[in-house]
Parts: sequence; structure tokens; C-alpha cells
Amino acid sequence: MRRAVRMHLPGYYEFSARVKVVSGHRVLEKIPAELRKLGASKPFIVTDNGVSSAGLLEIVTDSIRSGVTIGAVADDIPQDSDVCIINDLAGIFRERGCDSLIALGGGSVIDTAKGINIVISENTYDLMKFSGAGRLKRALKPLIAVPTTAGTGSETTMVAVIADHERQRKMLFVSYFLVPDVAVLDSRMTLSLPPAMTAATAMDALCHAVEAYTCLAKNPMSDICALEAIELISRNLLHVVNNPGDKDGRLALANAATLAGMAFSNSMVGMVHALGHSVGSVCGVPHGMAMSVLLPYGLEYNMHKVSHFIAELLFPLAGSEIFARTPKHLRAERVVTIIRKLNQDLHDATGGRHARFFGEVLDRHGAHMVEKEKIPDIARTALGDGALFYNPEDLDYDDMLMVMEGAWEGVPLKRNLIKSG
Amino acid sequence: MVSYREVKPGGKPFKRAYVAVMLWFVGRAVQAAARVDRAVAREFDDLPDSFTFCLGVEPRGPFMVVGKSKKGRVKYLGWNPAGKEIDLAMRIQNMEAAILLFTFQENNALSACRNRITVDGDIPAACAMMRVIDIVEVYLLPKMIARLAIKRYPSWSFRRKYLGRIRIYFRSVLGY
Amino acid sequence: MFLPNEYEFSCFVKINSGTRALEHLPHELDALNARKPLIVAGKDVSKEGHVRKLMSAFRDSGMTIGVCDDISGPFDAPLIEAITNLYRNKDHDSIVAVGSGSIVDVAKVLNVSVSYGGRTLRELAGKNGIPNPLDPFIFVPTAGGDGYETSRYAEIEDMKFSSDFLMPDLVVIDPRMVTSRDTRIIVATAMTALAHAVEAYTSPAKNHITDIYAHAAIKYVAEYLIPVVRHPADRDGSCALANAACMAGCVVSDMTMGMAHILGETIGAMFGITPGICMGIVLPYTVAHRALHFGARTADLILPLAGFDDCAKISPSLSDAVAVTMMIDLQHELNGQTHGGIPRTLEEADVPPYMLQDIAERCITDDLPGYTYSDYLTVVKQAWEGSPAMNG
Repeated sequence: MRRAVRMHLPGYYEFSARVKVVSGHRVLEKIPAELRKLGASKPFIVTDNGVSSAGLLEIVTDSIRSGVTIGAVADDIPQDSDVCIINDLAGIFRERGCDSLIALGGGSVIDTAKGINIVISENTYDLMKFSGAGRLKRALKPLIAVPTTAGTGSETTMVAVIADHERQRKMLFVSYFLVPDVAVLDSRMTLSLPPAMTAATAMDALCHAVEAYTCLAKNPMSDICALEAIELISRNLLHVVNNPGDKDGRLALANAATLAGMAFSNSMVGMVHALGHSVGSVCGVPHGMAMSVLLPYGLEYNMHKVSHFIAELLFPLAGSEIFARTPKHLRAERVVTIIRKLNQDLHDATGGRHARFFGEVLDRHGAHMVEKEKIPDIARTALGDGALFYNPEDLDYDDMLMVMEGAWEGVPLKRNLIKSG
Repeated sequence: MVSYREVKPGGKPFKRAYVAVMLWFVGRAVQAAARVDRAVAREFDDLPDSFTFCLGVEPRGPFMVVGKSKKGRVKYLGWNPAGKEIDLAMRIQNMEAAILLFTFQENNALSACRNRITVDGDIPAACAMMRVIDIVEVYLLPKMIARLAIKRYPSWSFRRKYLGRIRIYFRSVLGY
Repeated sequence: MFLPNEYEFSCFVKINSGTRALEHLPHELDALNARKPLIVAGKDVSKEGHVRKLMSAFRDSGMTIGVCDDISGPFDAPLIEAITNLYRNKDHDSIVAVGSGSIVDVAKVLNVSVSYGGRTLRELAGKNGIPNPLDPFIFVPTAGGDGYETSRYAEIEDMKFSSDFLMPDLVVIDPRMVTSRDTRIIVATAMTALAHAVEAYTSPAKNHITDIYAHAAIKYVAEYLIPVVRHPADRDGSCALANAACMAGCVVSDMTMGMAHILGETIGAMFGITPGICMGIVLPYTVAHRALHFGARTADLILPLAGFDDCAKISPSLSDAVAVTMMIDLQHELNGQTHGGIPRTLEEADVPPYMLQDIAERCITDDLPGYTYSDYLTVVKQAWEGSPAMNG
């Protein structure tokens, strides 16, 4: 059999996945030992209300109590945590003489923990002084991330996004030293996640992987991470949504989220995230839900530029048999169809809670979360999102409108309207 | 038994000069484009007054600074960011990266992908400036080269493209 | 699909690879909080002008760098001590090693030595003897290597060090540094990487993260080795192979080391053949043997070896055999491309048949329990003849 060069090898790329991953069904118990290896013994646990009311905090504290002294626990990190909260929490950290952090939760908790870590380690009160790339110059206190959503992948990234509500801005912090020391993936942490949340967060991870594979900064290493993540998600997601108690499936999804995090933290994401962030900030739609709605549209929009990369995703998404049976020129379209079908299946499996398009995203009172009049606002906000740098095709305001309108109605994009130049 | 020497590597004067000229021209062209092109003007309108943007090579330059005056007029502010309050800095990591960029071997997006440009400051403003630079490139460069430099070559009217090109070149050289 | 039960894994290594990668060094050092690096290079490497290229990457950076670029053997404790003193006296805060093989061991042990003032190297040697992070350590590979450069191991005299902290923080792979004209070196390095990666990928101790690195290494070698042997000046291909060596090194560990590694090292030492070449010869046969008798996950190899299209066409029941055949094919093609320069079998490598028992005996080691004399003997015999064990 003749080998040919098939992989995409960019002229230059960087890859790092520095976080230590500890994964299993009963690995929370390893946290004390990991802390000891890092020279710490008195962790500060930060988490949010949802996590602690689901009883996860208790599981964690019970598992580690015999090995370490828990310095303090903060279980009320809000979704939109900011500098003030971080400074308050840093105060508690100092007061109680803690020496390390355990972040238990999703992206916002982990980012908050990273913020506290900067304030403590640099011994500062002005966190914003350290925003930007490469401002942190030394190792921070040990930080162990215990993700509870199997979606965001923040446990692998070297960035933190922290809001400053007073000055109304969100600042980006980038440094090697922000990568958590250890990511602990324990199936008990995601076991009680309700089906709709499971679906949304896993689709978030799937978006990370798919965009990492199809956007401009892709590289062979991030590609492999992405492929493995996609395979794990496509083989386990529906099963887990239908059987929430499937521990192996839960662990597989948690691993997928981490792998997807490794993929996108190296090769970044594109327009699906640009629009998704904006739908989130303008209309308050949960991130994972916005992602799952937008993913097929992002692929359709970029199709003329990267159909060969999209086509390859059929392999992990559908398995080798379907890949082999599908003619080459139809594979990319098939990928879009399969992702739409996955959304439909999740919609059915969650009793309609998993949205297929923005028109059916409803809030608690049954009202539209994304009002049609807000679409121009969303499009304008999306024009200011950094993820656009990495998208294969350019998007202007009109393009954003077109994509959003399609995603609102739930109709595929009209390909002849997508501009290429 | 082990030889040791301490070295302070020198500079790259020729590459430096080339990049300095390119940056100077880009800076003046941005100023010109803000007066000639409506899309560029609109991007600047959305930025706060006295917004200052700096593009340059780390760690020792050259740089170029473009800013809006208090009255909202866009102006090329020279090559030296020292003493100016910079709102948005795009730093090219090293001279070789700048050469790759300014000889059109790598475009803006690719350069960012390859960690050769980093952005310091407000991200929406950075997106706006990237769009401005893309438009300026379409004006300054022949289609064949501009296609390498940007993702999607726009379809502009004859008037906008060629008349605009002449006016921007004219203004850039003369500096008004 | 493969689901590991419980695992832990970390790899600190960052990779910068491709055009003008060297020029990113000043910036990367700065991000690691290093201001005054010490460049460590062997005499051979600096003769080829590699150190000069590296130094020119620091132009315009404003950094002062120290250079020790004529290090030659013996690579022993006094040498480490001498460089340690220089490092301390001249206030260096980071190490940049250029080269491959034992110079990297020197750099790694140097890093241990400069980071631990009060303790002797002998106290720090051994398994996990180094509890804390060391100074920033950057590795710039040139062609060649023993496969251990990016690993968690280092060896000086009879002292063996092992710790995650020995791994480089950054590996800078630049086409200007990694191209080589010597096809034998190219093949030996790539085959070492392939053997280590294949063994990690099929090992029962594997997990999702080791799979990433092993998969990448196998894929790089499968796709780029032949093109580079054909055109040694191929810059992309040379970078890809250097990546393979780097990735494979990241997952080398006691857990994943297998028969091909042991056989390669043993035969190499006994008959004066480059170990990498031997590993290439024996690899397919060990893989076939382990698939048959140890339930190794050989079928998984198809995807990285063959890519999506071919992988999808192969029936799962045949994938074991096809994986083995593909690796034998690779060996044959290398032989053809080099006009017989790369041996396909141990016979062609001039290993005398009456030594096979001897080889099998010497391979038995405590490092790799579970494989018996007869396992090794079966495999060496097959590798000598060039006929693998196949199911059915």
C-alpha cells in the first residue's frame, strides 16, 4: 500500500498541553497527593451555588478531607464573576493562610480561581495590571481544576477572561503560568448533570473540536486532539443523555472536553464562537446551547474554503464504515447533516429542551430568549470578537446577519449568498 | 576545560530599515484612508476619541502610531510610541516575523495564528483595526498580492477601488 | 472504542515548529521569565554552524547570552560541575541545549545541578528523585538523536535521573537545524521514534493523552519518512520527522517500553549497529508477536499508519495483519530507496544466525517483565528471516 502525505502540516505551529490530567471513576481521592507533590497542603476551594447544591462540593470535601486541611471554601461564585469578587476571595485566601486553590465547576469558576491566583501570587490588589499576554513572570500557587460540566475545557487553557464591571470591560490574561497544574476528571462530578445540560456542554466541546480542526491555526497535534474528542463525543453523547447513570460514558465525555480544550487552546476557534459569545452576551443564551445551534451554520459558511477538512470529520463522527461508503465529494455535506441530526436526536431525547434553532430557545417563562430584533445587535457585537481572526473566511456585518437569520429560523444557509473572493 | 563566551548579538539594520519604511507608509496610508474611504471612516467613528493604536516590532521597534485626535480626526503620529498613551498595541514578536508579514509571505491572520503578532488591549478595537488594515491593503496593493494578504478580496466599484487608490497613494506620499 | 480506566499523565513540553521558529526564542524565554540563557552545544554541532544560526536569532532582542559550544566527551560529573560553576558565576537563568543525544543529557543534568545547590547529583538520581521544577530548559534539536531527548530521563556516568521536571519546557524545531544529508541517521532517528510510539500506542498502559503524542509520531513517520529519505533537503518533511522524535520521546516511559526497544538496543550494542536501525527491523515482528500472544491493540495502528481513507477500507478482522504488513513494507521501501543501505532483516544486517539464542538471552531484563526467552527468540528468528507471525 502506498503512503501519501495527507496530513495538514502548517509552515509554523506551536502546541502545548501542559496540564497534568488525572482521570477515572474515583480519582478525587488523589487530590491530596497531587497537592503534596506541588508542595501544598491547605487548599482554598472555590465553586458556585449550582455545584454545591448538587452535592458535588460535599463529595469532593469528603474525598480529600483525610489527606489535607481544607483552608476555606467559597461556594457562591456568580456566573459573571469579576475583579471585586476576586479581590474579596483573595482576602479570604490570605486570612485563612491557604497555599493552593481547587477550582470546582465550569469555565467561570476556573477563570475566577485563576484570577485569585494572580492576585495572591503577585501580591497585588490591581489585577488588571497583569492583563494581556505574557505579563505574568513566575509560577503561581498550585491550582487544581475539577471540571463539573464536561464542556468548556478551561482546565487546559493558558487564558483567563475576567470582567471589570466598574469599567465595563472584559480583560484577557494569557500566560503559561495560568495553566492549571492538574485537571482532575472524575465521573462522579458529571454524573448528576441533567440531560439537557449534558447535551449542551458536550456540544460546546464538540464545537471546540470541530472549529479547532477547521480553522486557520490548526496543526497536526491539535488535529489529533480534536479527532479523538469528536469520536468520544459522537459515540457517547446520545447514550449518556438517554442513560444519565452511565459512568464510563460520563468519563468519556469529560475526557473529550479536556481533549477538545487542548485542541482549541492551541489552534483557537472561529465564527461559531464569535457569534456564540455574542448571542450569550446580548441575549443571555447559555453558551453550550448557542454553540450547538450555530455549529452547522459555521460549517456551511466556511464550506467553500475548508470542505476538505470538514470532510475528514466524517471519520470520527460517523465511523469508518459510513466514511468509506460516502463518496469523497459528499463527505463534508454529510458532516453538516450528521451534526443537524445529532441536534435533532438530542432535542428528542431531552423532551425538546435541547434547541435546534434560536427560534425555539425559550426562557423560564416561555418567552423567546433571542428576539428577532436583537439580531443586528448580535451581529455588531460579533464583529468585535477575536475568534474572527482565526476563521477561514471573512465575515462582515451582512454575513453575520445572514448566518444569524438562518440559525434563528432553523433553515440551512443559501450557499449562493455566501460571498467568496 | 569548557570554553565560555558571552555574546551580545547585534541587530538586523537592513531588515529594520525595510520594515520601518513599510510601517511609515502603512501609518500614512491609514490616515489617508480614514479620509477617503467611508468604511474606514466608520470603523474609526466607532472607536473612542483620542484612541491611539500602535503597530510595531518587539522589542526595539520600529513602530508606527496612529491616533484619533480629540475632535475625532485620524492622524499618523510618528514612529515613536514612547510617552504616548497607547490604547491598542499590536506587537510583531520579532524582526523575521515582520519581514514575513511585510513581504506578504504571511498575512495578518496567519501571523496571528502563528503567535507572531500579539494584541494588547481591547479586542473589539483590535478587530476594527484589522479590518482597517485589510481595506488599506486592498487600496495599496495590486490584486494578486492583496489576495495573499487578506482572506476575501472584496468586489468594489471601479470608482472606489481605482480612484480611491490614486487618492490614497497621493495623500500617503504627501502626508495630508 | 478504547476507554482507559484510570490514568494520569502530564507532558510539560511545548513545541514550536516550522519556519523561523528560532526567532521566537527571545520571546519564549521572556514568557518563561528567563533573561540570560546559557547555550549548551557539542563541538560537532557548532562546527556545522548551528550555534551561529541560533545566535543570529537573538539579534535585535537585546538579550545577552552565554555560549558553551565546544563540549566534547567524556560527559561526566566533573564536566557538569564545571558548567554549573559558569552558569552560577555568570548569572544565567535558563538553558538552551542544541544538538541531540548525549549533549541533551548533559543539559538536563546541568539543570538539576544548577537548581539544587546543596545536594550532590548522586543524591538526586533515581526514580522521581527531583521533587521541584527546575530552571527553564529549551531544547533545539538537530538531526539524529537517541529518542530520549524530550523524555523524563537523563543519564550521566552511571547515574540515572527520572522526573517529569527533566522534560524540556520548550522544543524549537526549525528547518534550518534539523535537515541532514545522512539517510542512515534520518532512518535511525525516525525508526526509534516509530518504535517508541507504536509501543506506547499499543501498550495496555496507554491513555487518551499518550495516544495523542503517539498517534502524531506514527503519522509523521508514516507520511514523511520516505519523502525525506528521497529528498533529504525537504524542509517540511525534516521538521515533521523531528516532531515525531519529539512526540515519541514525550511518551517514552517504563510503562510503554516494549520488545522492539529492548531488542534494538541489545542487538545494536552486540553488533555495533545503530539501535534505531535495529528497532526498525524488529518492530513489525514484535508487533505481530504481541498481537498474537499478548492481545496488544495492533488494530489501532491502522489509522495513524494509513490515514482515514485506507483505514476505512480495511476490514477490522484484517487490520492486525495489514498494520504489520505496512510496517514491513515501509522497511522494504527504505531498503529500495537507499539501494540496500537500510537492511530489511537481521540477516541483511549481518547478524549471524548462531547468535540468535544469545541475543534472546541478553534481552531478558527486569525493566520489562512478562517477556520470556522464547518470546524473544521467536521474534528474533522471524526478524532474521523476514517472516512475521500471522494469525491464520
